[in-house]
Amino acid sequence: MTPDAINRLVAQLAKLPGIGEKSAQRLAFHVLRSPPEYARALAAALIEVVDRVKLCSRCFSLHDGPEGTFCGFCNDPRRDERLVCVVEGIADEMAIERTREFKGRYHVLHGVLSPLEGVGPEQLRIKELILRMQDTPIEEVIVATNPDVEGEATALYLTRLLKPIGVKVSRLAQGIPMGGDLEYADQATLARALAARRDL
Amino acid sequence: MERFADEALVLGTVDFGDADRIVTLFTRGHGRLSAFAAGARKSKKRFAGALEAGTHLTARLVTTHGDTCRLDGVDVIRSFHHVRDDLAHIARALYCLELCRELSRDNQPNDALFDALVHYLGLLDDKKAGPTSLIKFELDALQYTGFMPHFSPCALCGQPTGDRPRFDPEHGGVVCAACAPRVPRGVAARPEVVDALARLQAGERKPLPPELRARSRELLNLFIAHHLGRKLKSVEFMEQVGTD
Ligand SMILES: [Zn+2]
Ligand SMILES: [Zn+2]
Repeated sequence: MTPDAINRLVAQLAKLPGIGEKSAQRLAFHVLRSPPEYARALAAALIEVVDRVKLCSRCFSLHDGPEGTFCGFCNDPRRDERLVCVVEGIADEMAIERTREFKGRYHVLHGVLSPLEGVGPEQLRIKELILRMQDTPIEEVIVATNPDVEGEATALYLTRLLKPIGVKVSRLAQGIPMGGDLEYADQATLARALAARRDL
Repeated sequence: MERFADEALVLGTVDFGDADRIVTLFTRGHGRLSAFAAGARKSKKRFAGALEAGTHLTARLVTTHGDTCRLDGVDVIRSFHHVRDDLAHIARALYCLELCRELSRDNQPNDALFDALVHYLGLLDDKKAGPTSLIKFELDALQYTGFMPHFSPCALCGQPTGDRPRFDPEHGGVVCAACAPRVPRGVAARPEVVDALARLQAGERKPLPPELRARSRELLNLFIAHHLGRKLKSVEFMEQVGTD
């Protein structure tokens, strides 16, 4: 019979996304076979994450400073506060950050408008974005939501709120991916790429 | 394991695991069905952005042991991507897709509903579908699936509905003042709203003013929620973003 402690660990691991019962068992036995210091470090890291990491109260990025303070992006004086990039989630923010091309600030919505899932503006950090406009001199908002129906709906909704208060709103360009193949591009992508063509 | 191809509209998708997607299709030949699209979120070439709500396509499917088919590939017929230029158009398109997802049945083809949905998405894509056309689509969709609401004459006695009509989804629609005591759960409806809906249903193509649309929306929401057992999620979305 498997000891209860192992069953409890397997049950917890199986709740992780993409982890089934089998994988959870494999991970549990791996932890058991490893030196005890590993399990202690893992447990400590898990607890530290939930205890220390919060959302920045301005841009809603992840942040591990004291309560009520701003994150590294918001506090960095070298980043242009007039330029704000709006993303759906932390993973998208990290993807843009990896390009090292963007030198402005962020705003994380923590989701996207999704009519079929019943996600409306009130469930996202949209109100907070509009409030930000009042105390920072933001000139341009780059909407970097995904180019799917939900992402487009979110971009259109933000445009409707931001344009009237005199903020420039731009959207990430859409089209053929680098190293992509015209022959395999779908008609919607090709049509967008044509519409957003540039002079040479 | 049987292979077949069918004309289909994507009604909705749910991500599954890290790479896959389960797609709800409304097919011409087999009614509503769920299909498992392996690698749909990773492989750009195989499904090339086609597995999004509203795409009209030819689906290549394989039956499996369970209820879910396997989606082997697709050829896009029309992606209706101009719908995405306008928030109100997106909201209308998704509302129709959600309504059809609820009204259609597995393994029950419905040519009239399928054609109406393809036609309406086409109108939205061509920017020819205003808010009144959405109400007309709902009335048609309800009719094609056996839920036609009754606006005239009185659903109970067959007399004209008069100037104090009541609306009761449970009894199929509008009843006259004399029959009102028999429908205790009915709500008061304005005669001009009842009249406008009756005309739309009969095929009159005249845009309704915003006030009549809003009152018509209330009656239709009531009717649809009663017959489906819940309010559609995209209705709440339309309310929140202030569009109809
Ligand atoms: Zn911040
Ligand atoms: Zn009557």
